[in-house]
This record gives sequence, C-alpha cells and structure tokens, in this order.
Amino acid sequence: MLTPTLARQLTRAAKCVGQLRIGGAAVAPVRLFSTPPPGQTPPTLPPPETRPAVRKVNSAVRQNLIEFGGYVAECLPKYVQKVQLACGDELEVLISPDGVVPVLSFLKDHHQCQFANLTDIAGMDVPTRPYRFEIIYNFLSLRFNSRIRVKTYTDEVTPIDSCNDIFKAANWYEREIWDMYGVFFANHPDLRRILTDYGFEGHPQRRDFPLSGYVEVRYDDEVKRVVVEPLELSQEFRKFDLTSPWEQFPNFREGGKPPSLTEEVKLPPPKPK
Amino acid sequence: MACSGGGSSKVIKSVARQVKPILSLDKADARRRVVNLYKAWYRQMPYVVLEYDIPKNVEQCRQKLREEFDKNRHIKDIRVIDMLVIKGQMELKETVEIWKQKSHIMSYFKETVEPKPQGFLSKFLAGHE
Repeated sequence: MLTPTLARQLTRAAKCVGQLRIGGAAVAPVRLFSTPPPGQTPPTLPPPETRPAVRKVNSAVRQNLIEFGGYVAECLPKYVQKVQLACGDELEVLISPDGVVPVLSFLKDHHQCQFANLTDIAGMDVPTRPYRFEIIYNFLSLRFNSRIRVKTYTDEVTPIDSCNDIFKAANWYEREIWDMYGVFFANHPDLRRILTDYGFEGHPQRRDFPLSGYVEVRYDDEVKRVVVEPLELSQEFRKFDLTSPWEQFPNFREGGKPPSLTEEVKLPPPKPK
Repeated sequence: MACSGGGSSKVIKSVARQVKPILSLDKADARRRVVNLYKAWYRQMPYVVLEYDIPKNVEQCRQKLREEFDKNRHIKDIRVIDMLVIKGQMELKETVEIWKQKSHIMSYFKETVEPKPQGFLSKFLAGHE
C-alpha cells in the first residue's frame, strides 16, 4: 500500500529516469530498471568503434548528393564531364572550361539548387597535366544547407569566362587567381593585380616559381630609393633520404598507391534520341 | 581542345589544334594591338617623366620602352603575344594612375644591378668559382 504522497514522488522519479512522454492524460508505463523483462532479448549493441577520429558520413545525405549529382549531369550533359564524391560526402562536379557560365548560372538560379553563395574560388597547378591549372569553385546553398564544388581546367594561355556577372563575389577571387596563377579571365570588368607589388613579375603560386623568387627588393642608400635586383641563391644539388626505418603508414606503403579520397558517381547512360 | 575529327590524317593535320583566342584572331590583329600599346606608352612618356620626377629624360625613357618591346620580338604565338599585351596594358594603367611609385619606374633601368662576371678572373674575384 502506498500513500498518495509517496506515489506522486515515485511518478515524478519515473518521469525523470525514463524520459516519460505524457500524451494527454494517458501515462505510458515506465521501466525503472535496466534488466530486460523475462522473455525479451536485450537489444543488439552497435559494433565497436574502430576509427573514432574519422568523421562519420551520413548515408542519407550521401545518397541525396549522389542523386543530385546525377541530376545536374542529366540537366547539363554538354558541360558536365564527371561527378564525384570527395571524402565521402563532398559533391564535386567536373566541367569543361566552356561551361563555366551556364553551369554556374544553373546552380545559382535553378529552383532545386539555389547555390546563391560563392564561398571561394581556388586555383591549383599540376604542371604534368596537359591543362595544368585547375579552377575550383565552392558554393553554398543556404536554402538547402548544402555545398557543392565545381572544378574546371585551363592552361597558361587559355582564357576562362569570368563569372562576375553571376556572382559579384567572384571579382576579387578571380583577380587573386590571375595574380597568383596567371589564368586569364575573359570579360572580367577589372582584372588587375591584387596581392603582389606593382612591377612584380611572374605568378608566385605556380609550381615552377622558385621559393626564393627571382628578385630581391632592398633600400639602397646611394640612390636613396628601393631597388629591385635579381636574386641568385645557388645551392648544391642535394638528395635527402627521407625514408624512415620504421613503417609509419603501412597502408600507404604496401599497396603502392594511397587509397583515393574521391569516388566517382556513376552517371546514367545518355538517352537515345 | 584537340579537334577529334574523323577522316584521313591529312584533315587531322590541317586542323591540328582548335584553340580559344584571347583577343586576336590572326597575326595582323595581334600586331595592331602591340603597335597600339607601344604608341600609348610612347605618348605617355613625357607625363611619366614629369609626374614621377625620375632622373631620366624622355628620350632615355623611350629608348627603354623600345628595349622592353624588343625583348619579346622573337615571340610568334598569337595567344602569348595577346597575354603580353594584356600585361603591358595593365602596367600602363598602373603607371598612368600613379599606383606605382618612383622606385617601380626606376626598376626598369636596373641601374644598381651589377653585370654578371664573364671571364675567369672576374668570376674568381666574385667568388663564384
């Protein structure tokens, strides 16, 4: 027999322990103890964590991205060359350099994309490729809380269409890329240097630009001004043996090639006309 | 952007590489742009000498201008010429708007740069060999 006060207290404790949800007047029964009632198997535990430092990828989000990538490729078959997922859930669309303006305006203006925010434009230089520069556009869709990356390629003398008319943010980003890599953006309203000094020659982010630069700048007391002189830091050819006697990254050594971080999204075959 | 056209090898050879032009479509066009740029620089020289207050006269500046253009005389590729013309125009704008300073203008003349040692003895004295 319980006194009414004690019963009330017990109910309150049960609410706290069992996260009791009260819907209307009905109160669901609460289990106060962790042992399962007889005749019921305990719930299966998830498998133990083996890679706790690696970010988890939400499979639903991933599936959405795969479908969206396929949709973009289907809408713009002329320009999209490849769709891939980097690091599990970062959608990348690889397009031909002619398609910068159409693809970007599609991604901005299409009702199901709405990537209205140009987060960044990056450049990349891989001198071994026939088209050595890669231009990488990062977009954010505030409407769908989603990001996408668009990549295209060019070389030193092939102009890329400026996307300044679509995204005003591209103005300075493109100037930066022009300054650092020497990629020319056609139809840019104000393409000039932004990071280097006036009279600077060369494009510092190119891989063939030496670390020490070509010139040194100093104040000369005789001519009473800053002078620019060619720099020569000669160094004997050295070869560093960087291999360690210990195997630090066996995953990356034994197979020869490290595992790729990107994974191609299979595009549906083009429909016959 | 190699043109992948079918047919005989002769066709492929004749349309070897279809590239996107920067500005000029043919040689004459590129040449016209270069000459225009040269003229613009040439006419700007008196103002450069006056405004930057450099210890050079107009004649010396125009000679230097000629030198800078002659440095690239050997270039035949239209797109490379266009790229150089674009860079020259940007530099001209920097000069006209006085974004540059006196030292930037004077750095064309390379007065403080010592010539590289040529003979054995001068190399030895410079400590190179």
